[in-house]
Amino acid sequence: MNISQDLSIIELIINASLVVKLVMLLLTGVSLMSWYYIFRKSFALRAARQKTDKFERDFWSGGDLTAMYQSAVNDRHHSGAMEHIFEAGYREFAKLRGQKTLDPATVVDSSRRAMRATYQREIDDLESHLAFLASVGSVSPYVGLFGTVWGIMHAFRGLANMTTATLAAVAPGIAEALVATAIGLFAAIPAVVAYNRFAHDVDRIAVRFESFMEEFSNILQRQIR
Amino acid sequence: MNESRPLLRSAPAPGKRLSLVLAIAVHVLLAGFLIYGVHWQTRAPEAVEVELVSAIPAPSAVPPAPTFEPEPAPPSPPKPEPKPEPKLEPRPEPKPLPPPPKPDIALKEPKQKPPPKVVPREIPKEIPKEIPRPDPFKEQLKRETERLDKSKLAAALDKEVAGAKSAQAAAAAKKSSDEWGARIRGKIRGNIVLPPDIKGNPEAEFLVTLLPSGEVLNLRLTKSSGNPALDAAIERAIRKSDPLPKPEQGEVFQRELVLKYRPRED
Repeated sequence: MNISQDLSIIELIINASLVVKLVMLLLTGVSLMSWYYIFRKSFALRAARQKTDKFERDFWSGGDLTAMYQSAVNDRHHSGAMEHIFEAGYREFAKLRGQKTLDPATVVDSSRRAMRATYQREIDDLESHLAFLASVGSVSPYVGLFGTVWGIMHAFRGLANMTTATLAAVAPGIAEALVATAIGLFAAIPAVVAYNRFAHDVDRIAVRFESFMEEFSNILQRQIR
Repeated sequence: MNESRPLLRSAPAPGKRLSLVLAIAVHVLLAGFLIYGVHWQTRAPEAVEVELVSAIPAPSAVPPAPTFEPEPAPPSPPKPEPKPEPKLEPRPEPKPLPPPPKPDIALKEPKQKPPPKVVPREIPKEIPKEIPRPDPFKEQLKRETERLDKSKLAAALDKEVAGAKSAQAAAAAKKSSDEWGARIRGKIRGNIVLPPDIKGNPEAEFLVTLLPSGEVLNLRLTKSSGNPALDAAIERAIRKSDPLPKPEQGEVFQRELVLKYRPRED
């Protein structure tokens, strides 16, 4: 019986050849991973946005910088990325401020360098695993296609053994093989969408950080005089 | 330096476990949807026509006509005319009229005129002179004729009615027989491997002898489709479908079936 009566998805998967099965397994694993990172990233980015909002509100409400620094140091585990940047910059500034020998421009510069280092670390943290999503998005269709091509090759080889060549004889094999492509696309599409969305979100957060760094540098410069 | 170290590791990323659970949930949902929600059917019951016709086409073809004609047409016209007239006229009038003194006259008159029958005596007693004279006889006559007609009709229709009743039963059975046909059709359709070069929509006819268990005892091509490859393909499909599905009601079963097969129905 090379014609199965109903093409349920389970039957298609069970009847597939070993290579196709492996491809499907791999793709399912990849899809699982990518969804895991999609959820993790979306939670992390949402948290980062909320904390940034909160810190910006606090900062521009005109509180004392030293008090703000103290609270940021004390509450480090709950503070957001922007708070970390502020903390690094202000710490550097506070260290160098007392030394009269230093040029004010140097103090602001080194404080800005400290902020930039923290900024890069934070952005890197936010961007982590985005590359995985990107590669899932670009590669998994090809992997699925490989499984499909392999499955179709099998189907046609089976056709060679038959006396009467009918479409019905190869159709189930091709349907089985196409499941691999379907799984590949299922893994790829959300990954691509999520990658684009997250990359955009990270960019926007990065812009906010950068403008904050510039504004904060100006504030520090004003404080020196 | 001590102060700057903790900055290297920011707070642990939130929701690790939650996102793992959510990712698995997404996949389980999708798998569930694919497995239970999507059914790709390889057979479309309408695409192939396998007609289930009993071996002798005459009885099944005739009964359906009488079922519709005899029942509504003949019985209904006679009933409304005769019954309302005789029953409504004599009975409502007699009850108010018996007290008046006329019954004696009425008694005499009818006695002379309608001796032959026993029934009229009772009627004239009650019925006043105006109406009874013409009525009892005519009505009797009418009744008689109607009875005769009826009995004739009944006699004539007897066979037809019997046929009609059996046809009704047959119609009820036809439903299940149709269903049976559809199931046979579906099974054969699932097993057929059509040759690639079918021109048009030729019809092949097979006579299949069945065991009550559904096993195919004998299979004979009665009308070729003109394409030997197609004939062979259909024959293979029928043999492959052995045993054919059994009907839900045992009495629908027919030992010999004429299976008509068309590769396409468009």
